[in-house]
Amino acid sequence: MKKTISVLLAVLLVLGAVFAFAACSDKTDETTTAANTEETTAAESDLQYITDKGVLVVGITEYPPMDYLDENNEWTGFDAEYAKLVAEKIGVDVEFVEITWSQKVFELDAKKIDVVWNGMTINDDLKKSMSITDPYVKNAQVIVMAADKAEQYKTIESMAELNFAVEEGSAGKDVAEENSFSYTGLPTQADALLEVSTGKADACIIDLTMADATTGEGSSYENLVQVMAVNEEEYGVGCRTGSDLCDKINEITDELIADGTLTALAEKYELTLVD
Amino acid sequence: MFWTVTQSLLEGFSKTVEIFVVTLAFAIPLGLIISFGSMSKIAPVKWLCKTFVWIIRGTPLMLQLIAVFYGPGLMLSWITKMSLDLPAAVMGVINALAAMDRITAVFIAFIVNYSCYFSEIYRGGIEAIPKGQYEACQVLGMTKSQTFFKVVLLQVIKRIVPPMGNEIITLVKDTSLARIIAVYEIIYNAEKFIKLEGIIWPLFYTGAFYLIFCGVLTVLFGRIEKKMDYFRG
Repeated sequence: MKKTISVLLAVLLVLGAVFAFAACSDKTDETTTAANTEETTAAESDLQYITDKGVLVVGITEYPPMDYLDENNEWTGFDAEYAKLVAEKIGVDVEFVEITWSQKVFELDAKKIDVVWNGMTINDDLKKSMSITDPYVKNAQVIVMAADKAEQYKTIESMAELNFAVEEGSAGKDVAEENSFSYTGLPTQADALLEVSTGKADACIIDLTMADATTGEGSSYENLVQVMAVNEEEYGVGCRTGSDLCDKINEITDELIADGTLTALAEKYELTLVD
Repeated sequence: MFWTVTQSLLEGFSKTVEIFVVTLAFAIPLGLIISFGSMSKIAPVKWLCKTFVWIIRGTPLMLQLIAVFYGPGLMLSWITKMSLDLPAAVMGVINALAAMDRITAVFIAFIVNYSCYFSEIYRGGIEAIPKGQYEACQVLGMTKSQTFFKVVLLQVIKRIVPPMGNEIITLVKDTSLARIIAVYEIIYNAEKFIKLEGIIWPLFYTGAFYLIFCGVLTVLFGRIEKKMDYFRG
């Protein structure tokens, strides 16, 4: 028994020492490293880091028509095909990894993925935590509510008294804030829909693509309708902050637009490219 | 549709069971080691173990999952950013940890978390044995390990079965936290149906899987308790 205890103690002590050491050495170096050099080294290495390992790891969720599984269980969709095209031009393989959407910044910073490429709406908050490419596709936010109520609410002004449900950190939430609606922030857009269909909220503000896929016949939300589209918005690809991969994707995207490849892809999935 | 959902949920449920089995297999012995540590006569060992148990029991398992999976990678990015010069051995460890896959991170977080809870249950069980029994063993000339394995352990097992049953049933349901780092357990699969097809019932259907599993465990624990009917009083 004593032996086990001493082995355990040794392991714990070593771990403790490692962390203490990491913490100490940080304090001494922090003051001497200039802010500018840090950023350029981090940025220079990112594209190199990806070409060195030979694979671009793309963080996605199942989100038709941007990313979804085809009948052979392979990832396809507008974003999936687009990512494959870009990876090909960089000269690396592509690997799709399903992530939990709310953890996307962690996934990037911890290098579990290299890009977030999943119909991500560009907003100012996201720009603080990642480098985002030029917008590529247009989307809109739509207000969804119970069909029997929809008649009374034709304008956005008439909705001032309603309680909204939105996804936390989403573009829908920005719409609610801009119009000073009272709202509840929920973990996913699906939760926002659930709130409305169970009468916990009067209406929700979600992506047009999401609303098209989940409301109407055959869904659990047959009683809900899209009332109006608000706030045109744009999708971008998220890279690690300061990454040179961001510029590279922009550059390749320009080429893909110039030769008509991306336009054809957008037509295939019935999406509108940003002009 | 019902069949498609059942199939997908079963797939998720096999992951749930995997997390459950692996966690139990490692946490039950590890818990014993930690409980010995926190009862140790060597003060630093005792306080180290107690502090460790305090941290693990005092923070949410969800946070621990995030810390285990993303922590090393974040630390690595930060080391690069600060351009720190750490010894190769330390970097090797951090690199290895950062390369850990999702399911391994889930196993580690669950095993560590549950070992701490188990260790306290064990400690309660062991400390409940009257001092007189140890003295009697000493009089009979038994060694410390003989005393523990031949006299104390069986009584402890009998005492800890109900609280362990409680904790183990909690574990069944806690496995659903794994979806935070995108491990596809049963709830994750059910939520997909909400998101993609707009159908809600699969989420409630998962309840049936949990109920049946916990039902089996409850019966099992009832049987174990009955078998433990040796030494009454």
